[in-house]
Amino acid sequence: MAEYDLTWKLGPFLDRHLVFPLMEFLSVKGVSEFCMELVPIADVTLIFQIYDETDLQRAKLELLSSTNMVDFAMDIHTSLYPDQPATTELPDRRSRVVSELKRLQTETEPIFKIFSDNEVQKQLQASRDHRTLMQFLVDNYDFRPEMLDTLYSFAKFQYECGNYSGAADYLYLHRGLVPGSDKNFLNGLWGKLASEILTQHWENALEDLNRLKEFIEANLTTSPLQALQQRTWLIHWSLFVFFNHPKGRELIIEMFLYQQPYLNALQTMCPHVLRYLATAVVINKNSRRAAMKDLVRVIQQESYTYKDPITEFLAHLYVDFDFDAAQEKLQQCAAVLENDFFLVACQNDFIENARLMIFELFCRIHQCISINMLAEKLNMTPKDAERWIVNLIRQAKLDAKIDSQQGHVVMGTQAVSPYQQLIEKTKTLSFRTQMLSINVEKKATARYSEGPSWAVSS
Amino acid sequence: MTSRFFMSDSESESESSEEEIINEQTGISAAAYVFSEDEEDTKRIVRSAKEKRYEELKNIIRSIKNYKKNKDMSNLLSSFEDLCRSYTKTLPVVQKEEGGKTPRFFIRCLAELDEFIQTVWEDKVGRKSMSKNNAKGLTTLRQKYRKYAKEYDTDLAVFRENPDRADSDAEVEKEDQDDESEDENNLMDAATFKKESSVTKSAKKFQKGSDDEEDDDDDSIDWGPDSDDETSSSDGGGGMFPLREKFLKKTTDRDDDDLKRKRKRLPRENKAKDEESDDDGGWEKVKRGSSMPMEKPKMFGKDDEINVNSVHKKLNEIMAARGKKGTDRKEQIELLHELLNVARDNTLGPAILVKVQFNIIMSVYDYNPSVSDPMKVEFWEKVVLKIDELLDMLIADPELSIGEQVTEETESLEKPPLLVRGCVLTIVDRMDEEFIKLLKACDAHSNEYIVSLRDEIRVCAIINKLLKYEEEHGMPSDICRVYLRKIEHLYYKYEPRAAKQTLGELPTTDDTSLAEMDRLCKYIYVRDNTDRLRTRAVLCHIYHMSLHDKWYEARDLMLMAHLQETIHHSDLPTQILYNRTMVQLGLCAFRHGNIKEAHNALLDIQSGGRAKELLAQGLLPQMLECVYLVSAMLIEIPYMAAHEFDARRRMISKSFHHQLKNSERQSLVGPPESMREHVVAASKAMRNGNWKQCRNLLLNDKMNAKVWDLFHEADRVRKMLGGKIQEESLRTYLFTYSHVYDSISLIKLSDMFELPHSTVHAIISKMIINEEIMASLDEPTSCLVMHRTEPSSLQSLSLQLADKLYNLVENNERVLDQKPFFTRGVQGGGYRDRREKGNWGDRRDRRDRDNQNIHRRDRCGRKWYGQEYHVKKRI
Repeated sequence: MAEYDLTWKLGPFLDRHLVFPLMEFLSVKGVSEFCMELVPIADVTLIFQIYDETDLQRAKLELLSSTNMVDFAMDIHTSLYPDQPATTELPDRRSRVVSELKRLQTETEPIFKIFSDNEVQKQLQASRDHRTLMQFLVDNYDFRPEMLDTLYSFAKFQYECGNYSGAADYLYLHRGLVPGSDKNFLNGLWGKLASEILTQHWENALEDLNRLKEFIEANLTTSPLQALQQRTWLIHWSLFVFFNHPKGRELIIEMFLYQQPYLNALQTMCPHVLRYLATAVVINKNSRRAAMKDLVRVIQQESYTYKDPITEFLAHLYVDFDFDAAQEKLQQCAAVLENDFFLVACQNDFIENARLMIFELFCRIHQCISINMLAEKLNMTPKDAERWIVNLIRQAKLDAKIDSQQGHVVMGTQAVSPYQQLIEKTKTLSFRTQMLSINVEKKATARYSEGPSWAVSS
Repeated sequence: MTSRFFMSDSESESESSEEEIINEQTGISAAAYVFSEDEEDTKRIVRSAKEKRYEELKNIIRSIKNYKKNKDMSNLLSSFEDLCRSYTKTLPVVQKEEGGKTPRFFIRCLAELDEFIQTVWEDKVGRKSMSKNNAKGLTTLRQKYRKYAKEYDTDLAVFRENPDRADSDAEVEKEDQDDESEDENNLMDAATFKKESSVTKSAKKFQKGSDDEEDDDDDSIDWGPDSDDETSSSDGGGGMFPLREKFLKKTTDRDDDDLKRKRKRLPRENKAKDEESDDDGGWEKVKRGSSMPMEKPKMFGKDDEINVNSVHKKLNEIMAARGKKGTDRKEQIELLHELLNVARDNTLGPAILVKVQFNIIMSVYDYNPSVSDPMKVEFWEKVVLKIDELLDMLIADPELSIGEQVTEETESLEKPPLLVRGCVLTIVDRMDEEFIKLLKACDAHSNEYIVSLRDEIRVCAIINKLLKYEEEHGMPSDICRVYLRKIEHLYYKYEPRAAKQTLGELPTTDDTSLAEMDRLCKYIYVRDNTDRLRTRAVLCHIYHMSLHDKWYEARDLMLMAHLQETIHHSDLPTQILYNRTMVQLGLCAFRHGNIKEAHNALLDIQSGGRAKELLAQGLLPQMLECVYLVSAMLIEIPYMAAHEFDARRRMISKSFHHQLKNSERQSLVGPPESMREHVVAASKAMRNGNWKQCRNLLLNDKMNAKVWDLFHEADRVRKMLGGKIQEESLRTYLFTYSHVYDSISLIKLSDMFELPHSTVHAIISKMIINEEIMASLDEPTSCLVMHRTEPSSLQSLSLQLADKLYNLVENNERVLDQKPFFTRGVQGGGYRDRREKGNWGDRRDRRDRDNQNIHRRDRCGRKWYGQEYHVKKRI
């Protein structure tokens, strides 16, 4: 499945630390052969190829090289080259990191003293405005504005060391005190999101994600290109959140498909994210029908730049109505999902829903289907298929009868009577007219509030 | 006219004067010299005011002689007036140098003129046959001469006593020339020309020029051009003497023979030089050293120091006259050439050379007073040469930089880093524009056009050279401009290799025009600050990609560029480019089988019947219209079948309907002849579901010759079209005849339309899902079963009423909100899409939806070009 692996495409848009989980996953899966090109956000460009487990480890070591997780790096180093002692470089760095840590700790000590104060804690909870809070701290606790930068660098350092929860806490404080115009504000937000993701606090992460999104959208000073880049990052980072948060599957559709800037970013920068969007749409029962149409259009538009079994499955099903090809792709989909870090959890959901989609489409097109054929299309045994259909009928999801003698499913009549149709058509009209008249009234009163009110009589 | 021709001559002639000087100094044998290459670095000798003045006089006298020969009275008159004027100017010099003695050559001229006037005046028969202008000129001349000659009565009397005495000093040889020497002179001239790269051309030009002059002279009273002629011819003559003189002194008999032979080889009418004849002996006497300085154009005085500053000053002096009313543009160019030679001879460094060269080019551009008329081809060629030289100079010297940002003050012509004010880009731009103008002025069918077209290679070479130069020295904005120049010479050219690359036959890493375009355009996208360059670059990029079948990339770029909204505000050439790009995009879409996109892209161009105007192109292949009509047919015919009884059916393509109606109006429809008739006949066949006939009508030898063979990969297009016809005919068939059937076997259908079973299944499935036909498939028997739920008339009427109510409410809301239509449309569309759909045959509802699909913005916000974008392009 190496050809469908997206890690190397996702990597460039993720932080180094966020790549670890992906690599961890890959080594568990024992991906034997794939190429990887990582260009993490950090300026260092790493290009390396991984062919087996040891190479994967080496890649990790590379990744770690610019972080402060020296101990981790040393572990990997020993497992990678058990016969060679660690180079002098690593212990050196370790001591440097430790001394740096000590220095920062002493610098930040007064800050934490201030924040451990109960009164301050209360204020922190109560206050919403960073300015008043800041004022309060400066007035009462000898707090200096430079301390904020110290706090930020300490948080960054903690993050680099792998202490994500600590970093998240410090960044929380930092955010509370810093105005939006601060140079570190945006970085702080990104750091906070990464920390929350890495500590797997999805609720907080979602909150941070939304905050970040608002900030990016509200910030008019960034150039369109920068905004595009930030959106692209956000799209990638949010995958962690969306596929772990219970509400994520709806939110991902909302954000990727219906928020214009993000859809644009997705189409121009990273069409490969379509896989995640497509999966989300398929496994989301509620909004599937509406979203599918839009999704299929996007997939079609981007079909020349990106395709994988999942998008092809949808294209076959909804564009060509080629059920056989769709079925074939569905089988491939299973393998792809199993090897995807984000989607592995929804594998079963996806297969089930995809089946349902095929069947639904079938029912809309056919009035009579043989169970054998259906079983084949759904990749089930005829018995299972029959049971499955019976369940559907029992749950009132399907208006159909089974002709067991001939082994057919006969669909119920679908025609809607003209009366019903007429009601359907006019139902909304009365409501809309009412709204209209209310609006007219509002406008009229607003306009003529001082003049004669002859405009509206009701 | 004449003067223009002469102008191009003057360059060569002035060069010859320069060369002759070289000759004097280096002592190279004249004969050898004549056929040798230019040598440029000899020193120039400064001339005194006397020489300058005298030469001017002599020039005029020479032209007077010329006119006398032609009996061209009106010009003679004007020359005489010039002579008087010029002599007045010379007077102070005469006073100083000659002690107030009138120069003998001047007197001789007066005397000769007197004789001439008298003979002509007495020749009554001849006078009567004169043209009105000439007769008038003669009378005036006679009067004026009498008045003027009074002052010199004594001098004339002295002269007449001894007319045969040679003129004093150095002037002798100039005055006394015989026919023989004239011939030599011509020869010399020709030889000089030969050294120019375009010998024959200039010779031809010259000849043509003098012919023209003759024609002109008869009827022109206008003084401007006349004086042009005089200066040019006299100037040329001036340069000629010493050369000839030098030449003759050293010439042996063998040389003479040789030259005569050459003369025969280069026979040339040279009326302009006729007056230079005198006897051999006259100029044999002359000492070589003394005559030389006299001949030089009067650029600098004898004692003037020639350095960068003085040349620069002189240049400014000359250029100051630029654009003024009385400025003789031709003379200006000549002066500049002289200046260039002076600068070159004195090795004043590259900066001043570049500056002068630059100004020469500008003056040549100035020469053509009308902006809309193209330059003369000869002038243009000259400019090309000059620009080429200029660029070579610039590239050769890395110390030198030229730019607009350099001001007069910061200009540094002597010390490195050398800075010169001026913009090479502009002159190249202008050259390119003039080239286009030249092409436009040609008849596209003529040979002339093809010949001119060949020059494009030279233009491209210059642009490449400039590009190379700018890439090293230029600022991003300048590089953008050069890139765009290059792009505009590149984008419309089809490169087979690039096409192969698209098909995957060549590796993508190969350097084709596509890659080149990509590189150039991307640079402009990033660096350009002016919208115009970017817009044009985008359009050219799209055009080029469309041309090479890069459909997706072209489409995406078009969508992302968002040009549809803003293109109306751009200038006309850009709008035309936009239209052309749209057409290419449409054709590309068609080749890829994206009929709808093809139709949308071509709709705007074709709908008004003003395609030629919109594309600013006189010759349009029928292909364009045919592609449009066929696309329209493939969309419209199934649509018409589906909405046959719909009262409010909408027309998708007006011009297609127009063609249909035209053919219906005919009482007798014969077999199709023209392309349109073929399409119409095919449409009718398709309407009846007769796909074979439809295909045969569109894909036959006649249509191949007219349309399809014009596509590259014509076979692929034909195959695609055949497939589309099959599919759309099937749909049309189902729409038209489904009400007759209760059920149809899919196998039968796939036999009828010769389509694979799966395709038929897919098409029908799509129709069912889209609720285009009310039917469902019976899988076990593989049949299509129709659902007939025809509403009663009451029911259908009430449904219609409901629809109308719906529209009413929508309209009301729109009025209240006063929102633009599209916003509403989007909302309405979204609303309808999510609404529960009744699944029996409410065709109207479907129709509305269809319309919206065409009209609605794409969900992803990329606004689809085409239908909803109706540009009023005025051209």
